[in-house]
Amino acid sequence: MKRLSAWAVLALFALFSIYPMLYVLSVALRGDNAFQSQSLEIITATSTLKNFVVLFTETDFLLWMRNSLLIATVTAGLGVALAATSAYALSRYQFKGRQAMLFSLLVSQMFPATMLILPFYIILSNLGLVDSFWGLFLIYSSTALPFCIWQMKAYYDTIPKELEEAALLDGCTPWKSFYKIILPVSSPALVITALFSFMTSWSEYVIAAVVLQNPELYTLPMGLRSFQASLATQWGLYAAGALIVSFPVLILFISISRYLVSGLTMGSVKG
Amino acid sequence: MSLRSLGAFVLLSMMICLRVQAAEPVRIQLWHQMIYGHRQILSEALRDFEKENPNIIIRETYRETEELRSSYQAAAMGGSGPELVFGPSDQIGPFATMGIIQPLEKIVGEDYLKQYNSLAVPLFENKHYMIGGSVGNHLMLLYNKKFITKPPTTTDELIEIAKKNTQDLDGDGKTDRFGLVFNYTEPFFFAPFIPAFGQSFMTADLKPQLNQIGLRKTFEFILDLRDKYKVIPKECDYETANALFKQDKAAMLINGDWSWGDYQNAGVDFGIARIPQVSETQKWPSPLVGTVGYSLNTHFTSPEHEAAAIAVLKYLTSEKVQRLFTEKVGVMPSLLSLQTPAAIAAYPLLKESAHIMEVGTPMPVIPEVRGVWDSLRIQYQKVLASSLTPAQGAELAQAMAETQIQNMNEVVPPDFGAVIIKLFTGLGIIALLVATRKWWWAFFKGFQSSQRFVYFMMLPAFIGIFAVIAYPFFYNVAISFSNFGLKTFQDWSIIGFQNYWTALTDPKLYSLLVKTVIWTGVNVFFHVTIGVFLAVIIHQLMPAKGLWRTLFIIPWAVPQYITALTWRGMFNQEYGPINLFLQKFLHMDPVQWLSQPFTAFTACIITNVWLGFPFMMIVALGGLQSIPDSLYEAAYLDKANAWQRFRHITLPLLAPVMVPAAILSCIWTFNNLNVVWLVSNAGEPGDQTHILVSYVYKAAFNLYRYGYAAAVSVLIFFILVIWSLGSLIAQYRKEKRA
Amino acid sequence: MAKIEFSKVSKSFGSNHILKSIDLEVASGEFLVLVGPSGCGKSTLLRTLAGLEKADSGEIYINGKAISHVEPQDRDIAMVFQNYALYPHMNVAENMGFALRLQKKSPNEVQSRVREIADLLQIGHLLERKPKELSGGQRQRVALGRALTRQTSILLFDEPLSNLDAHLRSQMRVEIKRIHQKIKNTMIYVTHDQMEATTMGDRIAVLKDGLVEQIGSPHEIYHEPKNLFVASFIGSPEMNFIEGSILSRMPWTGAQKGQQILGVRPEAFEVFENDVNTHEVDMGVFKIELSENLGGQTMLHGVLEDQNVRVLVDSTKPYTKDQKIRLKINRTKAHLFDKQSREKQAHL
Repeated sequence: MKRLSAWAVLALFALFSIYPMLYVLSVALRGDNAFQSQSLEIITATSTLKNFVVLFTETDFLLWMRNSLLIATVTAGLGVALAATSAYALSRYQFKGRQAMLFSLLVSQMFPATMLILPFYIILSNLGLVDSFWGLFLIYSSTALPFCIWQMKAYYDTIPKELEEAALLDGCTPWKSFYKIILPVSSPALVITALFSFMTSWSEYVIAAVVLQNPELYTLPMGLRSFQASLATQWGLYAAGALIVSFPVLILFISISRYLVSGLTMGSVKG
Repeated sequence: MSLRSLGAFVLLSMMICLRVQAAEPVRIQLWHQMIYGHRQILSEALRDFEKENPNIIIRETYRETEELRSSYQAAAMGGSGPELVFGPSDQIGPFATMGIIQPLEKIVGEDYLKQYNSLAVPLFENKHYMIGGSVGNHLMLLYNKKFITKPPTTTDELIEIAKKNTQDLDGDGKTDRFGLVFNYTEPFFFAPFIPAFGQSFMTADLKPQLNQIGLRKTFEFILDLRDKYKVIPKECDYETANALFKQDKAAMLINGDWSWGDYQNAGVDFGIARIPQVSETQKWPSPLVGTVGYSLNTHFTSPEHEAAAIAVLKYLTSEKVQRLFTEKVGVMPSLLSLQTPAAIAAYPLLKESAHIMEVGTPMPVIPEVRGVWDSLRIQYQKVLASSLTPAQGAELAQAMAETQIQNMNEVVPPDFGAVIIKLFTGLGIIALLVATRKWWWAFFKGFQSSQRFVYFMMLPAFIGIFAVIAYPFFYNVAISFSNFGLKTFQDWSIIGFQNYWTALTDPKLYSLLVKTVIWTGVNVFFHVTIGVFLAVIIHQLMPAKGLWRTLFIIPWAVPQYITALTWRGMFNQEYGPINLFLQKFLHMDPVQWLSQPFTAFTACIITNVWLGFPFMMIVALGGLQSIPDSLYEAAYLDKANAWQRFRHITLPLLAPVMVPAAILSCIWTFNNLNVVWLVSNAGEPGDQTHILVSYVYKAAFNLYRYGYAAAVSVLIFFILVIWSLGSLIAQYRKEKRA
Repeated sequence: MAKIEFSKVSKSFGSNHILKSIDLEVASGEFLVLVGPSGCGKSTLLRTLAGLEKADSGEIYINGKAISHVEPQDRDIAMVFQNYALYPHMNVAENMGFALRLQKKSPNEVQSRVREIADLLQIGHLLERKPKELSGGQRQRVALGRALTRQTSILLFDEPLSNLDAHLRSQMRVEIKRIHQKIKNTMIYVTHDQMEATTMGDRIAVLKDGLVEQIGSPHEIYHEPKNLFVASFIGSPEMNFIEGSILSRMPWTGAQKGQQILGVRPEAFEVFENDVNTHEVDMGVFKIELSENLGGQTMLHGVLEDQNVRVLVDSTKPYTKDQKIRLKINRTKAHLFDKQSREKQAHL
């Protein structure tokens, strides 16, 4: 009985959680701009893959995808490298300003991000990084950093410090004990951190729209937006694109979901 | 000089010479907002141009209209941006005021401009800033010839024909075909009626004139269409109207000339006509006629670029290109030579369109018109939601338009506060440096000690954070004390505390704050409860934990902007699956989710709850895993029931994990612009779904009040800092006591 | 081999003075046990030697060389941690060979060394496993093995056995001792368990509140405790501390009523059977309140005059509640402590 009701509740929530994506699927499978339909069915007799075909053959979708992948991967790499090192220092060493730095990380999340766009642009144009991926690498990996550092630090905090001490005595320098011992041990958290950085850049749109101007540099979200003119949105293409955009992230999530639980440490459990 | 360095020198000079000789082609950028069909013609035309002018390369970039505006502003601020920008004529006002596009008289000559229909070269403060590629962009009545042979000429006829064509074909009690559809929630679409019922909505000297019989009657007219005659759908945005007309589910449509191509492609046999004469006044509704055209940036990287940009501008507005557009997508050319009856005789639609344009009004281009549209939209949507009467709506629209225009144009002079701020900033920085000198000393000394390792580990990240977050933050703080706005775009100055004063004395800010707090509280409450609830069920009862986890992760994995737009679609009154579900399975009446303030806000919350619970679930699952089973066994032996076990073991042991996550989530939710902005389509209905950040965004990017927006942002920042400090300290004390 | 010398080593954490000017010498090849209650500074002393903590003042010498500026990785010291600190991502062989691989030893050499030590510790069959696949006892052996593989001249133990059950603990005790006898390097062993201390150490240093209370062989520490603290800390069951009128029975000149405490280990009592040798003292009548059978011996709890006393006797005779027996002690086995200074007093 208890088990049955648990199943029922979970099934209900599962529907809640996947239905919107199914809805996008159904829009993508409808023909020309058939955004409006009064049917609840996902796949109907008139379903067609036309939108997907058009997406890959008549638009620059593959180019956008390549750009997005490149940006997201580099951002994730950069983000992980920076977060892993600085979080380690924050977790293991006592030094002046440590508390202030930790709090400043939290504080950095508090200013409305939209107001930062204009100054971003000014910085990038002073550095000559407008219309280049470098600008995006810089902004994306840095904006994702505060959360990544917090998250990595929380994970490091759970690793007994004797591990590095043992490594020190075994002949490691502090740096070696970090990358030979602590980094491998932290792989769940590293994976999660990479995922976060990846997601930030994969789905970011507003900054990309300001920084990138050359259509050859367009990212997926920007490409998707171009189907969405103010008075003539191509909903079918948009939906098909949206599905494909969500797909890699979903796969990533699923493939690392076992790390998710162990790697996402927000604090410690006493017990 | 040795032989070797001489060689190097020669080589270098050769390289320089070569560079000069093989002149690099000039790259010209063009930003535009053309719809899909037009884009292809544009690029066709541009490629032709490149073939003829091999030294010029043109890169055209599509931007959605609003976005084109904001990114062009940002780009121009940074001293760059595209050489050419293409957009509707109403962007001239703001751009010219900001000084980011230039007058064209001196560049192309007065005579050149005279070749064009005056509508295509609008005047702003006695100068021309744009050459239109076409004229029109005006509204008209489109009718489906399958259902209507002769279009109505008066509103009485319109209502009659519409009633006849509003049909429930399958007898399920739902309308399957509407007599009339249009995007009637947008002021642009009902604006033609205002002068027909009364007077123009702008006076001759370009002041808003909204509190008048024309607007009241227009409101009443549309309410009647919806509620009394029931010939238009209850909720109808542009997409809905468009789709209904295409699918033969609407007999008549009010839409612009840009939409023809779309319907032709969809195979709709349609005709066009003037929007019917108002029977009561015998006046024709007057659609706004404007142009979409090209403007020149004020910044050029070199004279070559300028020359090339001018060449491209002339080419794009030339006969050849205009012909191409007319042929392919049937827009009305802007060159007088192409507008002669003979020239357009081949295009019956254009002929009729010219006839419709005769009753049109030129589109106002002054920047203030944004304020008029915005206040009109806000009050009108309240009228549609029946929270205001038409008379109140008209009155408030006028009042609001006046305030907005005043705010927009205001250039606040510096006052005594500015002196204080400048003084304090200078002294403050010095005092801070002096006060923290020991700290700095210790900090720099650290580079030589064993701390060096720590520094090298930490500094790269913090330099990045400083550059990307701290610098922009201080920039905003500076702006918040300034009069940065539409008129001071290029030369703002510190003025004092006025922005803060304006913000803090505005009761609206407090009601928004309350709303934001509710928004945050409700969201985080559901995030945490649903997250913990699911986590507990999955952790304790379920086999195949991985599978369930995967299912529930989906909302997290989908990019936010996709989620938001998807849910907006799902909340659609007529076609959204949510209402379909309610009707089919619960036999409820459809809910007008997005046109009532409360339901619209609820829709935003539901969307955001959907987005946020997976994160909490994962955090909770992690927490649950580390609670030892022995505790539950002990509690079981103590005869604790399931609830008690949850209450006394799970909850307290989970709290240290959930509280930091919840705090973080509060901050994120408090500042979540995406969901509110996209689900409610920028605060609809009537600006009543705003939370603080979306209000800030609107003030800055739609109403050009950067200084004010920055001040409110700083206030938001302090609210969050104080709140989170408070809750962290509370949590810390609690843990210490435990 | 290595001789270690601590000279005036002090260390505080904030206002908490953990080590107060410690002087200590460890001979080459010696097995020294640092014992004391938690918070006495014994672990900190060990970690200071290893270089994991920095002393505030004072100096440590290894073979006469000051080492405070030598990084831990260059000190040639191995350590076994309380929680083992095995590298979770490496298998047993990799864990044990890690240090050698860092020294760029050839793979063959690493392998044969690991194999040799693994055989010594009987963990040869575990080499391919990851730490999480091992039992507590096995992990302990691996941790020990990892420290041994390096063949350092100094080997440190930080409460290595405290996470094991009693049986494994006594087994490992012997094992460690055996290894020490075999390889004869300098070992310092920290524990809070006096039993471990007395069974394992060549010498024992008893620490309390950052000070060394007494250093000596287990025999000295047990039989000649310098003060009340050492007397009470070492030995199980604990020494009896008796005050009051009994002290007047002692034939000592220094014994003044009210100023001293008499310390007698439970096993020092003997049952009085009409014969008192010259060096023995009649202690009077002891009334049994409870008897505990410990196997070969019986622990009697009861009252001697008005003092609660424990007495350890042979279990050959049965004892019952309320039975009264007469006790005597050998006067050399009685300790007299000054109540004020808590130091042991000389007596004759």
